[in-house]
Amino acid sequence: MNTQTKLLIIDDDPDYVAGIRSVLEKAEYSVDVAYNPKDGFQALQSKQYDLLLLDIMMGRGAEGIALARKLRKDPKLRELPVLIITGIREQIAFLFPGQPVHPHFVELDELVEKPVEPKLLLEKVSALLKMAEEKKSQAKK
Amino acid sequence: MKQYAYYPGCSLESLGKNYHISALEVSRELGLELKELEDWNCCGATAYFPVDELLAYTLVSRNLAIAEKSGLQDFVAPCSACYKNAYFTNSYLQKDADLAEHINYALEADNLHVNGTMKVRHLIEVFIEDVGIEEIQKKVSNPLKGLRVAPYYGCQLVRPRKAKEDVENPQYFEGLLSALGAEPIEYASKTRCCGGSLIITNRKAALDMVHKLLQDAVKNNANVIATTCPMCNVNVEVYQSQVNREFGTDFSIPVMYFTQLMGIALGIEPKRIGVGASMLSLAQSTVS
Amino acid sequence: MAVELSFSKEIENIMYASHGKPIKDCLQCGTCSGSCPAVEFMDNSPREIIGLISADFKKEVLASNTYWTCASCYHCSVRCPAGIDIADMMYALKRYSMWKGEFQEGLIGPEFSESFVKMIVNSGRSFEPLLAATYLPKFSARDIVQEGLMATGLVLSGKMPLLPKKVKRLKNLQRMVRRIIPIGETK
Repeated sequence: MNTQTKLLIIDDDPDYVAGIRSVLEKAEYSVDVAYNPKDGFQALQSKQYDLLLLDIMMGRGAEGIALARKLRKDPKLRELPVLIITGIREQIAFLFPGQPVHPHFVELDELVEKPVEPKLLLEKVSALLKMAEEKKSQAKK
Repeated sequence: MKQYAYYPGCSLESLGKNYHISALEVSRELGLELKELEDWNCCGATAYFPVDELLAYTLVSRNLAIAEKSGLQDFVAPCSACYKNAYFTNSYLQKDADLAEHINYALEADNLHVNGTMKVRHLIEVFIEDVGIEEIQKKVSNPLKGLRVAPYYGCQLVRPRKAKEDVENPQYFEGLLSALGAEPIEYASKTRCCGGSLIITNRKAALDMVHKLLQDAVKNNANVIATTCPMCNVNVEVYQSQVNREFGTDFSIPVMYFTQLMGIALGIEPKRIGVGASMLSLAQSTVS
Repeated sequence: MAVELSFSKEIENIMYASHGKPIKDCLQCGTCSGSCPAVEFMDNSPREIIGLISADFKKEVLASNTYWTCASCYHCSVRCPAGIDIADMMYALKRYSMWKGEFQEGLIGPEFSESFVKMIVNSGRSFEPLLAATYLPKFSARDIVQEGLMATGLVLSGKMPLLPKKVKRLKNLQRMVRRIIPIGETK
């Protein structure tokens, strides 16, 4: 069906990607994957997506943050909802003495920490898509 | 008096203190003013890269931004690791607009902004390029005649490659030592690594590297090893006795910062450049 | 179902921003291994590690001490005829293993990196444990070394807080760090 909702995952962990991809595809989403921020940004520029699932620790470091900020400055990608899915607290645990991951670096983001239950993942995805849809229709009025 | 933005780096506040004071004294003697950056932070040496390179570039950029704000043109580091980090961060800032934008977003938190406009240099380059070998030679009042010095470049002063310079067999350190009246020795290990932080993380490997360096310098009849980096100096000087225990050797070769040798040759009072009596007698015994 | 991405591709991805050529250009000539001052202390030479990555031997690479034995002297990088920044690859492997929390047991490198970064985030300055030795009288190298060893052990085990100088605008520096790595607010 050509009205299928299109999602992009940018995450460097192939095992993790395989997991959430199958959950999302079972829920009838169309899913593309990029395994590094550069390929990810290129994908976003070449095709229109309805939502981005973004990892944080990739390549040189916390690249997901840089990429999310870049999207917010891009007139074409500014409205794209972003669901950040990160294992950062595990990955560099020594910097997180019991503190939560800072959630407020870009607007309209949701952040969930790995591992994510399939049910929660689908809830977050549909909630963000709905929010973005409402925002769009409000803007049209 | 030409002024430079001077970034001493953390080591120069502790074990490398003699490097710090001799760098300042020699610079003054040569008519250069090293102005220490206000409120600088650690450059991270080699320890950030295994965690987050973007963080590494950001912390280095804070120092570059403070230097830019000073209005000076040259960012001078006496430590090879600080120099390498500052040099490459600066060049990435120029080449990668996205990286620069992201780092500047972070620097806003300290009301700073970086453009990547500093000229990043190691202290030895400043002496050689800005003062010049001939000029230095003219100011030598106490030539280090007969002193056989092993010029130890180490690694990060010469590598990674920055432009088209000779990374295998550089010669400028030898040139400087000759100008001081000393006799630079030739030996294969001059750009081999001292082990760096392996002295903490893999002691055995680092001691082996220091051992090979000492062996090569001594075999070629050096009286002293001259260094351009506090890490090299610590590894080669402080760990010499441990090398002796480990390898059954009896090395006791002095290790000095190149700035200390310059200071002696320029006739600066030894205690002002952190040179003790034993070092001085070594330098003088070869003169007579 | 999508085909799982190979290990060599994973490493290619973590090195996506490397300034050198991709490691698949490796000729297996061994110049890196011949130039490496620490090769005798590595489980696998740099050439072998590249070979293992290319052949997708993930387990073997993660179990190897090779990249944690790299001193970052860049001899391999400047000599590689294929233009691969091998020292940069060693850093990428360190990150890969740090982020996964999988490395050979008993290595000090990962802990040292953590302590170092933590120290800087907390004070803005570094003060290598070994440098605690500064305060001992000079020319007693044996004591200095013993002290250095002890201090290193104490710091790594978290028993000894070190007091290096701090930057003055520490709060700003920490806010700056949080803009790069989204760690929570410290109270």
